[in-house]
Amino acid sequence: MYCGECAGVCPRSLIEVRENSLKFDKKNCKECTICIQVCPVQALAKEE
Amino acid sequence: MLIETDVLVIGAGPAGSSTAKHAALNGADVIVIDKKSEIGAPKRCAEGVSKEGLKKLKIEPSTRWVTRELSGVRLIAPNGTGVWLNEEKVKLPEAGYILERKVFDKHMAMDAARAGAKIMVKTLAKGIRREGDYLFATLETMGEEFEVKAKIVVGADGPESRMGRFLGLKTTLKPKNMESCAQFEMVNVKMEDPDSIEFYFGSVAPGGYAWIFPKGDDIANVGLGILTTETDKSAYDHLLEFVKNNPSTQNAQPVELNIGGDPVGGMLKELVTDNFMLVGDAASQVNPLTGGGIIAAMEAGVYAGEVAAAAVKDGDYSAKKLSKYQERCEENIGVKFKRDLKVKDYLQSLSDEELNSIADAFQDIELDTINTAELIKQLIKVSPKALLKLGKLF
Repeated sequence: MYCGECAGVCPRSLIEVRENSLKFDKKNCKECTICIQVCPVQALAKEE
Repeated sequence: MLIETDVLVIGAGPAGSSTAKHAALNGADVIVIDKKSEIGAPKRCAEGVSKEGLKKLKIEPSTRWVTRELSGVRLIAPNGTGVWLNEEKVKLPEAGYILERKVFDKHMAMDAARAGAKIMVKTLAKGIRREGDYLFATLETMGEEFEVKAKIVVGADGPESRMGRFLGLKTTLKPKNMESCAQFEMVNVKMEDPDSIEFYFGSVAPGGYAWIFPKGDDIANVGLGILTTETDKSAYDHLLEFVKNNPSTQNAQPVELNIGGDPVGGMLKELVTDNFMLVGDAASQVNPLTGGGIIAAMEAGVYAGEVAAAAVKDGDYSAKKLSKYQERCEENIGVKFKRDLKVKDYLQSLSDEELNSIADAFQDIELDTINTAELIKQLIKVSPKALLKLGKLF
């Protein structure tokens, strides 16, 4: 289910798509939220 | 642990396997890796390929991976009016076969292995660095990290590819160039013609289209691609709505959900750098109009494999040497994509009403006599505004 669309649009290349998980480099994320917008199944959300 | 090879291919989809096969056939020592435990699964596409494309690649269709042979296309306007295009009446370059990708992708990887490539499954590429005349890729398999020293690395790792970016290529896609796709494989689908694929246009799939691709019996891939810049809803929400409202899927049940990004902005401008090439979805080698990428990816794989093997023979892995791959891709794939990108922009500019009126006009045309002049005549009749938009694109 990890299709990788989020990684394809991440302007800072911070998302690693593994077979059964996604690995985010949170430290360098600028919270542009493009990854959240493109997810086909709304699987991503901004951390509170 | 350090492994040395001539060519490392990252990703064993159709592009990667084609690259690996042709590099190996031309004498290179090749390793191809895939992060998944099972090559080809889960599928990320509607599984359609053209007969013409397979023929060009000299791949014989096999009953092991062809689920349905198609003879027609049905284009459906927002008001439900259908335009039937039949292979007997109109030359349909995209008409062809519906594959079982889980089987097809494995068979293409097997072809690469038979040609001499070494395949490593469940192996993830985590990073890449340049040292002297070589690239060193950091890989991980079953929790263990190791490095591969390669003369050439080929990134065939899909739209989420990061290897090219790590080496300075601009591969990040803007949301307007990435279709967000969701698809069910469904049973109990009742199609009007199970030998035709169906495309639905308009607000049913903002910025893209919906499809029903028959896979034999009452089974079909039912899906859609949208641009998230054109709608507030997710692709999955649009898919649920489409399934709920489409007459063919009233009693259908899903047996599989597929999601994925489809890079539809045209081929990337830069496909190579020193020691490195991009192929397939990682290079946006996807037809911008249809969203189909299997044939283009495999064709690019042939060029990448041949160029990589020649570079290894000559001991020259520079961007200049590898640019022959870029030239062949631009000449044989890029030119068509540029034209289709214009047609896509035109289609996306049409309102539901304009699409309806065009589909209505087609009901009066004898399709065996259709030509450009006839098409323009009909467009003038039904929608001068639509024709004006078309004119602006060329």
